[in-house]
Amino acid sequence: MLKVRNLSIFYENALALNSMSLDVNAGEIVGLFGSNSAGKTTLMNTVAGLTLDLKIKEERKGGERITVTGQVNFEGADILNVPPSHRVAQGIVLCRERHPVFRDSTVDENLRISGYTRTRAETRARINQVYDLFPHLVRLRHRRAGLLSGGEQQMLAIGMTLVAHPRLLLLDEPLLGLSPAMQGEIVRAMKDIRQQGIAILVTEQYARPIFPVIDRGYVMENGTLITSGTGMELMDNPEVKSAYFGM
Amino acid sequence: MFASILVNGLVNSVILILTALGFSLTFGLSRVANFAVGGLYLFAGFAAWIFLRILGLPYAVAILLAIILTGILGAIIYQVLLVRVRGIELSEVIATFAVGVAILETFRWAGFVTYEFNLPSFFKGRLEILGTVIDYQRLIVIGVGLFLAVALWWFTHHTKIGLGLRGIAQDEHTALTLGIESDWAAMLSVAIGSALTAVAAVVILPLGIISINVGYEVLLLAIAVSVLGGLESTVGLVIAGLILGYAQVLTANFLGPQWMLVVYLAAIVTVLAVRPSGLLGRFKEIEERV
Ligand SMILES: Nc1ncnc2c1ncn2[C@@H]1O[C@H](COP(=O)(O)OP(=O)(O)OP(=O)(O)O)[C@@H](O)[C@H]1O
Ligand SMILES: [Mg+2]
Repeated sequence: MLKVRNLSIFYENALALNSMSLDVNAGEIVGLFGSNSAGKTTLMNTVAGLTLDLKIKEERKGGERITVTGQVNFEGADILNVPPSHRVAQGIVLCRERHPVFRDSTVDENLRISGYTRTRAETRARINQVYDLFPHLVRLRHRRAGLLSGGEQQMLAIGMTLVAHPRLLLLDEPLLGLSPAMQGEIVRAMKDIRQQGIAILVTEQYARPIFPVIDRGYVMENGTLITSGTGMELMDNPEVKSAYFGM
Repeated sequence: MFASILVNGLVNSVILILTALGFSLTFGLSRVANFAVGGLYLFAGFAAWIFLRILGLPYAVAILLAIILTGILGAIIYQVLLVRVRGIELSEVIATFAVGVAILETFRWAGFVTYEFNLPSFFKGRLEILGTVIDYQRLIVIGVGLFLAVALWWFTHHTKIGLGLRGIAQDEHTALTLGIESDWAAMLSVAIGSALTAVAAVVILPLGIISINVGYEVLLLAIAVSVLGGLESTVGLVIAGLILGYAQVLTANFLGPQWMLVVYLAAIVTVLAVRPSGLLGRFKEIEERV
């Protein structure tokens, strides 16, 4: 459903993505692994349209700083110049890194804000599904999101993207900074989400915790694709194994 | 004497809060400090006057049209001037300030400077509260203030657009990933703020005449409220309104009405000298921790 081809992105003269190509098929969970500043967030933001938004806003102020070349296809159509809100309507929803939530709003309100592109009834039904997926959030529903722990915020952030009704869910480092138990909880949720027919593209620095659920993975360094393959194939590569699996 | 200060101070505070409500709402929702408020306020007043006196429309229609038109003017100001300098605060302030002054001076240039420019009260008559006489128009101002407080709360907490605007206000990028358009939201928040300023104008202006000076007073009030209340919070707006409202009434009672405008300037200078982050800078910190 998602096809990225030869995508290159320059910030000023720095190359953040170097001719990156990647696919996500319907129903898959695909991992994207890379260390700090590998370009994971840049790729996710470009697929979600945030890079386009940033570029337009900077150009309006008179700067010409970001250059994007290549293709991003979603279900056959080139979406590189489609604004982020339309991409959400088409089903591409990003959960940004570091569990972003609306800090001054309550948990429940965060979820209601997230139904912006959907009808009231649909939003209500989806909010109930989120509480089913993360029962832990139920008793926190009237608490301000800024007061939740990191793990709770991550559950909420994923819940928010689900209310927006994704068909392709982009998760940018969802396990970052979470305890092993909480990581397990998020990985379990990812399996559940796939069961609902939602494809997932997930980035991590460290592959081990999500290794059991991914169908395929890509490894990138300094904006360049190093290798790709099924989980097993990645494990067979000794360098990848030591760098991303810690073995 | 005491009762009269109490009642008049409250009425005056509500007038100030209502006047600054649009300004505060726009800032709260999109971080645009729209210092064109003074111009928009008078624009609404003169527009209502023209519809009523020149075109002979019914008063209610004239008022409604003036409010809508002022909202549209706000949207135009955003689209033409603010869209490009979004996020550069100094440019936003200068641009809106300049537009506000331009609107006011255009009216002066066009000759809108005599006593014939006034709007009638909605209902004639007055009432006695605690031995203090209050005319109906002032009660209407209070009623409208209360109504708007409830309506705005409902809008921002229970409608899709209101919730979306609050999302954008809290975290623009996250809001974008959920399909909420930031440009559209900012334009809407400026338009709604402008329309609210127009509501304030059409209910408050019948208390006096429509003069260019009123526009500058509104501008000064917006600055005073933002310095005192720290802008973001509704609580800040209410507290700033109460302080300024009572300070003005006390000044008028003990020093004479000619000193009333000085209250704004004194408040601005004092707060900037003593507590530059605004009176509520501290409260906000505490609120964060609670
Ligand atoms: N808005 C920006 N302006 C300039 N440079 C940027 C911008 N965003 C990212 N970069 C640069 O692009 C490169 C890739 O960054 P990116 O955030 O995509 O890495 P990442 O793989 O997500 O890293 P991390 O694991 O630390 O989140 C980095 O060198 C970064 O400094
Ligand atoms: Mg990143």
